[in-house]
Amino acid sequence: MFDKLKELILQYVEVDADSITNDSRFIEDLGFNSYDIMCMLGDAETEFDVEINEEEIMKCKTVGDLLAYFEGQK
Amino acid sequence: MLKNIGGMTYDCYPLTSAQLLNLSLVKEGTAGEVENIGAGNYLQIDLNIAALREALNRAVERCESMRMRIWKDPDTGEVWQYVVPYQNEYFEYYDFSAWNEEKVTEVLNKWTSQPFDLYGGKLSRIVIVSLPNGFNGFYYNVHHACMDSSSVIAFTRDVIEIYCSLLYDMPYPKPMASYIESVKRDMAYEGSKKQKKDEEYWQAQLSQKEPMYTDYTGPGRLMQLRKDNKNKKQRWGLLASSDGKGNTITYELDVDSTMKIMEFAKEYDLPVSAVILHAIRTVLCKFNNNEKDITISDLVSRRSTLANKKCGGVRMHCFPLRTVMPLNTTVLDSIRMIKKAQDEIFIHADYDPLKVFGGLAEKFGAAEGSTYASVDFTYQPGTLAGIGQTLNGIAFKSRWYSSGKQPKPMYITAMHRPNDGGLNFYFGYQTECATPEEIEFLYYFTGRVLFRSIENPDATLKEIIDMT
Repeated sequence: MFDKLKELILQYVEVDADSITNDSRFIEDLGFNSYDIMCMLGDAETEFDVEINEEEIMKCKTVGDLLAYFEGQK
Repeated sequence: MLKNIGGMTYDCYPLTSAQLLNLSLVKEGTAGEVENIGAGNYLQIDLNIAALREALNRAVERCESMRMRIWKDPDTGEVWQYVVPYQNEYFEYYDFSAWNEEKVTEVLNKWTSQPFDLYGGKLSRIVIVSLPNGFNGFYYNVHHACMDSSSVIAFTRDVIEIYCSLLYDMPYPKPMASYIESVKRDMAYEGSKKQKKDEEYWQAQLSQKEPMYTDYTGPGRLMQLRKDNKNKKQRWGLLASSDGKGNTITYELDVDSTMKIMEFAKEYDLPVSAVILHAIRTVLCKFNNNEKDITISDLVSRRSTLANKKCGGVRMHCFPLRTVMPLNTTVLDSIRMIKKAQDEIFIHADYDPLKVFGGLAEKFGAAEGSTYASVDFTYQPGTLAGIGQTLNGIAFKSRWYSSGKQPKPMYITAMHRPNDGGLNFYFGYQTECATPEEIEFLYYFTGRVLFRSIENPDATLKEIIDMT
């Protein structure tokens, strides 16, 4: 799941793939803005076949937070 | 699909939902055949015209949507798009350096108002120009079915970076992304799982009670429509004025005030667009007898992926951003509610907006060309502000020119200036429906509400309205 999410992230931001870790913060480390994040989540919803609650998902600040959220939805 | 057009065979693709949205405005907005973007980009340096011609040619070669054409099949009436191969072009040069700026703007506005033959060929025109005060650059006019403001900015950046690389040994810019690939992605969305999810979301929105049209000049316009239609309960307004004529007034917010907005947004972890939308929303509430149910048309660039940022074309969608708030809602809660509504739109923004607007009209029996939003809003953070680094201190200015047509009642664009980062507010309005004084009034109150809100984030909407 991590690799799939990494692949999705790389469609949105120009960063070195190796620099993406569970601890990477979307805004501060990867350079996302709030609009990009919401669009990526829209894609992730389909990609990972999960239901996203917009308020809950906004609490996910790191790649690891988001993976944990998706795991919880499975 | 392969089609034979004028003796040549081209790979043709259907128009995208964003293109169809634009073309529907030409029809519903009675804007004639004019749905053009006009922009000028100028550097305060002596220009090497040959190098600029070369840079423009290379940029057109790298940007498929600049070579996009639209074709109507004479047998079936179906409309298709295709991209023609690049051919070297000679861009004409106009020297306006001895003119005054006002006169030049008048000419460039006039050029922007000249319609393209939509089904007949080229949908863009570029010329090299010299302005007064040593500014030189290029004027660019394109049909909105080819490019939107985001792609105009990306194209401009590409031209300038290529020009600098040709003359100053700067790095050559990375390639643009393919426009045709973006069209294929849009085609793949049709019937996909994502479209199904988006449809569920928008159907849920359509199941709510009828929204309320709130005009930016107050309730008079809706009252008149109710009288004309002999329907005292009518809640919808109209997109079009009878002549479709429009004008754009630009207001420049100073850098310090812009910084106040940016810092406030940062402090409370809120998007700048939601802060400005809150101000516009509160003004509409104030001007319409403290109406609680306000709809603003929110424009979404749909350029979040790297490929979509650099593929050119038109991708802009717009959707009704509807919020219902009691007057005791605080400023922060108002902005957070707007942000939540905006986030939902962002997630579901690939859906065809015409289906949403059509669904609303059908459900509530509104006329063709009806709307519940008197204001369309877009915030453009991705401007040419960063170009200063490339230009190493050379003065740069960009100008947007008016086509003289306005397909919607009011189109507000907030965009950072390239030279100092301050915000420009462009108010595009229908001249039949408002005077310049009324636009000034709207800008004045939007600014008042914005800064009273920033100074008093815990105040209620009622308190903010009373303060202004």
